[in-house]
Amino acid sequence: MDRLFDSQEKCPSTNQECPVFDEVRRLREECKRLQELTQVDTLTGLFNFRYLMMALEGEMERTRRTGLSTGLIMSDVDHFKRINDTHGHESGNKALQWIGKVWHEKLRRIDMACRYGGEEFVVILPGTRLPQAIRAAERLRFALENSPVRLNGKPVRLTASFGVDAYRGRKKLNVETFIKQTDHFLLEAKAKGRNRVCYDENKITLAIEGLTSDEREALFATRRPEK
Amino acid sequence: MLSSKPPPVTLCITSGKGGVGKTSLTVNLAFALVKKGDRVLVVDGDLGLANVDVLLGLSVKRTIRDVLDSGADPLESVIYLEPNLGVLPASSGVPEMVTLGPEDQNRLGNVLTTLSRHFHYALIDTAAGIGPSVLWFNRFVNRNIIVLSPDPASLTDSYALIKILSRDHNRKNFHLIVNLANSDREGLQAYETLEKVAKKYLNLDLQFLGTVPDDRSVHKAVRGRYPFIQKTPQSKASQALFDLADRIRMLKEMTS
Repeated sequence: MDRLFDSQEKCPSTNQECPVFDEVRRLREECKRLQELTQVDTLTGLFNFRYLMMALEGEMERTRRTGLSTGLIMSDVDHFKRINDTHGHESGNKALQWIGKVWHEKLRRIDMACRYGGEEFVVILPGTRLPQAIRAAERLRFALENSPVRLNGKPVRLTASFGVDAYRGRKKLNVETFIKQTDHFLLEAKAKGRNRVCYDENKITLAIEGLTSDEREALFATRRPEK
Repeated sequence: MLSSKPPPVTLCITSGKGGVGKTSLTVNLAFALVKKGDRVLVVDGDLGLANVDVLLGLSVKRTIRDVLDSGADPLESVIYLEPNLGVLPASSGVPEMVTLGPEDQNRLGNVLTTLSRHFHYALIDTAAGIGPSVLWFNRFVNRNIIVLSPDPASLTDSYALIKILSRDHNRKNFHLIVNLANSDREGLQAYETLEKVAKKYLNLDLQFLGTVPDDRSVHKAVRGRYPFIQKTPQSKASQALFDLADRIRMLKEMTS
């Protein structure tokens, strides 16, 4: 497959003025462009929905075989319609491009950032457990909040809401259900006021905070120094 | 043909937070059990025993991986500190295997089960915290021992550990040891605090194994890297450990 794009290729009959060579080269470039089109979102340069589904399926299978978790972040830009209404239709696109760029820099090479819908983004984090995925989402949230986009010469603050989950390979989960599960936390983030990261708090370990405030209080209340 | 030999008791010794003296406790507890007449295997799940001098000078045995690949007897990877006290040091490859995929973990589980049958007790010393290897060992054993010190941070971390193990990993029988306590009373109070909260929020009954007092001879022994129970068997800490060993032996009688 790679050989198809080898621009060093010369005419097999070493004809310096081969009439077909140019045509072949053009066709190869067109094939490459088409292949990217099937995987990449043209506006943001991130992967597209089609690629996301394929890649996520692959990572979930890998998780089942290796035991290494797959993290998933689903996010939605806050008040996106307002941007188009206030700053014009082209502004919406500019904002999305900007977001793609800001986030691409904050992710690892192995992470796969995809444009999921109009103003929705999904990131697949291979080999990543929930606490790490949450930290990654928090980095994205913080970066966006602190990187206003320039629209018509003016800086405009952007925020997004995030839902995070991780698949450990234990349950028989499919791609659609995993996405739905994670989406639930995105909805929760919106409901709780936007510009935040939500996840299943019950799954979180000592590393972040494992106890409810009731439990903490109970542990310390009974330790009053007496007698 | 029924075997008259009861199955081995496998115990996992974990703490929520490091620095509670878990490894030293494990080694000395093993010596105490041996003194009482049992055969004990200590598994170093965390490189914690790498600094215990009793292990130095002993020939490096085969690793578990060697054993699996060559089909050799797993007992060849055990180092004997005494005729009835075997150790699977970290160099046996056990800590590494746990962090690998499910296939390796299964194989390791089979080997550990086979090995345990040659002993009355298998004590597994895990890393502190709640990493994947800690969880795996805690799922593998019959009984889970949690070691804590009587300070608020240790209490919180122990509770969080118990919460995760019970809720996510189906562990229900926890035995608490309070180490580095100023008094028996302090140890008991720490246990009772945890017991109340666990009963209320997790619907769990936590068992108390006992308190080990903070003892100068222990610190000296840890610095000198030898087991205190051998060097200073009359110390308060050593006595507490013998009591712990007695209680663990009673547990064994309760195990089906």
